[in-house]
Amino acid sequence: MTHCDPITLEIIRGAIRAAQSEMEALLERTAISAFIREKKDFYTALFDAQGVMAVGSNVPIFGDICGPVFKHFPIETIKPGDLYWYNDCYGSAGAVSHSNDQVFLAPVFHNGERCAFVMGWAHFSDVGGLRPGSISPDATDIFQEGIIIPPTKLVDQGVTNTACLEIFYRNSRYPDTCRGDTRALMASVALGAQRMAEIADRFSPVVLADALAQLLRRTEDLVRQRLRETFPVGTHRFTDVIDSDGQGTGPVHIRFALTRTPDDRFIFDASETDDQVRGPVNYLMNRDVPGTAFALYFLGGDPSQVCNAGGARAFDEIILREGSLLRPRFPAPLGMRGMTMMRVLAALNGLINVAGGKAPAAHAAYVILFVRGMANENSFLLSDGLGVGYGARPNADGIDSVYFVAQENYPVEFLELAYPVRLTTYGIHRDSGGAGEFRGGCGIVREYEILADTGTLAIRIDSVQNPPWGTEGGKSGGTARCVVNPGRNSERVLAPLSDGNELRHGDILRIETGGGGGRGDPFDRDPERVLRDVAEGYVSIDAALSQYGVVIADDEIDLAATREARAVRPLIRAFHRREYVDALV
Amino acid sequence: MPLSDLTVAIDIGGTFTDVTVQELATGQSWRAKTPSTPSDPSLAFITGMNLALAQAGATAASLERVLHGTTVATNLILEGKGATTALITTAGFRHVLDIGRQDIPRRANLYTWQKPRRPVPASRVLEVTERVAAGGEIHTPLDEDSVAVAANECRRLGVQAVAICLLHSFANPSHERRVAELLRAALPGVAVTASIDVLPVVREYERSLAVILNASVMPSVSVYVARLAERLRAEGVQAPLLLMQSNGGVAGVATIQRAPALTALSGPAAGVVGARAVARLCDVGDLITVDIGGTSADICLIKNGQIGLTQHGRVGEWPLPLPMVDMVTVGAGGGSIAHITRGALSVGPASAGAEPGPACYGHGGKMATVTDAHVVLGHLPPSLLGGKMRLDPERAADAIRREVAEPLGLSLHDAARGILAIADSNMVGAIRVVSVERGHDPRDFTLVPFGGAGPLHGVALAELLGITSVLVPPAPGVLCAEGLLTADLRAEFHRTLPRAGAPDDDPANALVATLRDDAEEWFNLEHVPPEDRSCRDVALMRYRGQGSELDVPWTGRSIEAIAAFHARHQALYGFAMDSAVELVTLRVEATGRMPVSSAPILNALPMPPPTETRVVHFRQGSIDTPTYDRDRLGAGTVFSGPAIITQLDATTLIPPGWQATVHPSGALLLKHIPTP
Repeated sequence: MTHCDPITLEIIRGAIRAAQSEMEALLERTAISAFIREKKDFYTALFDAQGVMAVGSNVPIFGDICGPVFKHFPIETIKPGDLYWYNDCYGSAGAVSHSNDQVFLAPVFHNGERCAFVMGWAHFSDVGGLRPGSISPDATDIFQEGIIIPPTKLVDQGVTNTACLEIFYRNSRYPDTCRGDTRALMASVALGAQRMAEIADRFSPVVLADALAQLLRRTEDLVRQRLRETFPVGTHRFTDVIDSDGQGTGPVHIRFALTRTPDDRFIFDASETDDQVRGPVNYLMNRDVPGTAFALYFLGGDPSQVCNAGGARAFDEIILREGSLLRPRFPAPLGMRGMTMMRVLAALNGLINVAGGKAPAAHAAYVILFVRGMANENSFLLSDGLGVGYGARPNADGIDSVYFVAQENYPVEFLELAYPVRLTTYGIHRDSGGAGEFRGGCGIVREYEILADTGTLAIRIDSVQNPPWGTEGGKSGGTARCVVNPGRNSERVLAPLSDGNELRHGDILRIETGGGGGRGDPFDRDPERVLRDVAEGYVSIDAALSQYGVVIADDEIDLAATREARAVRPLIRAFHRREYVDALV
Repeated sequence: MPLSDLTVAIDIGGTFTDVTVQELATGQSWRAKTPSTPSDPSLAFITGMNLALAQAGATAASLERVLHGTTVATNLILEGKGATTALITTAGFRHVLDIGRQDIPRRANLYTWQKPRRPVPASRVLEVTERVAAGGEIHTPLDEDSVAVAANECRRLGVQAVAICLLHSFANPSHERRVAELLRAALPGVAVTASIDVLPVVREYERSLAVILNASVMPSVSVYVARLAERLRAEGVQAPLLLMQSNGGVAGVATIQRAPALTALSGPAAGVVGARAVARLCDVGDLITVDIGGTSADICLIKNGQIGLTQHGRVGEWPLPLPMVDMVTVGAGGGSIAHITRGALSVGPASAGAEPGPACYGHGGKMATVTDAHVVLGHLPPSLLGGKMRLDPERAADAIRREVAEPLGLSLHDAARGILAIADSNMVGAIRVVSVERGHDPRDFTLVPFGGAGPLHGVALAELLGITSVLVPPAPGVLCAEGLLTADLRAEFHRTLPRAGAPDDDPANALVATLRDDAEEWFNLEHVPPEDRSCRDVALMRYRGQGSELDVPWTGRSIEAIAAFHARHQALYGFAMDSAVELVTLRVEATGRMPVSSAPILNALPMPPPTETRVVHFRQGSIDTPTYDRDRLGAGTVFSGPAIITQLDATTLIPPGWQATVHPSGALLLKHIPTP
């Protein structure tokens, strides 16, 4: 049998998913850094014999993972028992997009024939560089963002190049953590490779190959079909923006054009995006990213589909401009690219919406912060990630207070046991969700009392000047801010993307994160939902009236007053960012 | 001779209540089945008990023990129908529950995922002014006026239950205890429960959920258990009522009323304990149990007769980190629906349930289900439950043809086999995950399938896993009763250290001594005689920096615990490290041994003639296959597949290549015959 029937296909898909679960379970239980085990910043994927991603994770941020390895180690020279490793952003054309992310890639063989590759990927908390944590808003080139590992054969047919690892560990400020995480990731990849070999053995490599090819084709066909349904022939444009690079440049525009030709070729063009910047918010976007993001959107919640390279194949041409924010020249810094990446995802939603599709309104970019300092004569590095609000959907509110796919928070109790801080508040950022018939998700408030002797804060916040847009009448989301000692004489609001902010023992650090954009006219929102939002602390009574035209008194809706308040409606337009506009530019 | 030392086990399921009365000395038992009475389950409980007692010719007064598995708490949680509950939390942290772990789940799609509504909305989360710092020191003393304000708010909201979860209470419970005391006084008739009494471990979101779920089921479970005790007294029963918990042990009414969430997985746990008991009679200690019902399958791995416990369990959508039998649930069962989207066939997790049920039930079900696939292939007889239920092969075939075979261009039988293969594969994936998480190779285990649909899938699952022996319990459909009859009393007492760190023998042993005192107190409460008491001390350890712990025996000497930890890490994950090892939690597992009945021995009988011979469509081809009545198979009978074994509560499928032996305990042992 060389053809994989639909039933075997489903079984293979399930078996690969189970293998991924096993890999993830092992990594989560054994990794040392809080980044991996508590925040869970790690992913796995499976590739066919040629290195094409056939089963990925549900995040649209990966590019061509295997290609960079093959450039240094031709595919035919790869042997059983090998393990490859890199974090080289420029050397991988953005498959990895900041140096903290380590990729481990193992080939899978069956009777001497290569039949698959398995990847484990994780964010390492410190790989050297300018500041603890390796990423800093102050960085001006990628050498300040930690050691760069070009595609490297770490294990040669079972023999580990330990010298190579020791050099890596020696370059980290936290070598033990680095060592533990490396062991965990290697064990996870080894397990995945073993499982894939078993799958190949059970179904035969030929059937496995056909199964993977079908999974790719299935995704590609679906995305092509949905692209045709969504985009009429012609060119569709959308522009979104990041506020600043933290070093004096901004706003910086991301300009996308999607063209469907009369003969149904799809061309994605990002070349009109602004120039690269000095600060570390450049996002070396792998050319597979737009297609993968569209695929994830088009796949929806369908559990029978998998996110893979098929989405990227649905595009016939991807145009990026060398020297732009999304195609920076080496060695521009990339460490804080997450906020640009999140804006790229919002802009892709915008492209769908301008064509009449129903993608979510814009989300805020998750917030990260680092506090580095001394407590009881020990140095510490606290890196925290804060959730935000996501954009409203055509049938549902945006998601409240989440970070991103798969990544979890540090519980308050865990944080306080591990670091010299005490939280005074962790809650919903009221009124930050963009108003709409469907409300944008709300951001969060997190307030830390600094118990360390000294500390230096690096913070990354975006969309303060340009909040996440709303659509079809929905309003833009609320903005984020970072303030020290609110309400005291010493109150000061910090620059949203900045490093070197000094903190002292007893200081209160308050961070409010942004909300997602709304969707639909807020005056069409069911008053009962507005009442519920007020009761649950998501919307204030004032905003209920000013944004939604709902009058609430004594925990009840005043129906007559609400009718009156809603009688005169503002004129709505296609998008909203602080005001209604026909197009964002 | 009058019967002596009788035990009664009552398992209440969604449809039927199963009752078994057993005499301890002989192991002889009497069974009764009666329709469940969901509005007041204690009615069926008493009806069934009296039916079984009548069969035995015994009186209620002669009962020595009443054992009960209840799904009252489970159903309340799964259906979100618990009591209206308020959560009391530390000021500043009202939205901890709403935020959760701040993630979009790994397998979810960020464009479509919606955060599930919490069992307690933020409008019923009330803050009190207080703060315990990390490590347990009081940072802000409790403001009792703020508790009074919260109590007033609870009254205004009309809540029936209150859950209390304050930050760092596991390190210093004084504030939580005081708040509980004040609220109990202020809110008579309201169920008040503090997290320290349910789950004294770190991580506020998960602990909040545990205490909320506990509080929300407390009123109903309390009323239910109290009413049951009362009815039993009225019937003249003097024996204590013991309830099955998620940890696989039973406990008395007082324990359950304090922490009813301990029964959240009572039913599945009872089944696993029953499977272990059945396997033990056959001298099998390493087993994987697969309990396949209508909508889901529960999978559990047992090594050396020890049922593992986990604190990473879930009930429905919610993590519930109470100690529970370490099992995994997958959405694959007899009612799982096969459907095609965009040319891809998948099976489950949607289920046709009991109504309308599979197409072959003829109750209006149109979807093709796993059960329909079995019917089409000839695995199931034309009627079930001793003739009470007819199966319609035509409807089954129509559904599979229309929903699966025609869209995919497959033959009817290939489509049916495909549905089963996918359902089996989903279960196999889960079995592998269970095995690797515990560091085992499934091929070293015996598979024990049970539940109504288990024995139909047992051999197929074994073949996929490379397992060569399968053990089918004597009564696979009512194994929960077996579990109740063989369970011990169990409770865990644990304490997370205020700060994890290098283990220090003296303080650790002092803590273990405290926990042992708690255990002794519990033994007294449960009236366990001294000779039946046993305790196992366990240390939960990790490498410094890791986030989850492994449990190793605590011998009183940390050097031994550390050595055991390194070895276990190596065995489980394939590597160990020179890093520092931390002690996180100490646990005392208390067991009160219950009397064990002697097992009845099956008589030897000659091989009976088949009740019928039917064509069954195996992968190897369509083969005339004999059907045997399980009740007529005597001990020592040996025969080869293909064969189908029918009994009241289950059907066993034995494909070609497998040989069956009837064990004297009544279990059916299936062995793979190696092909030469």
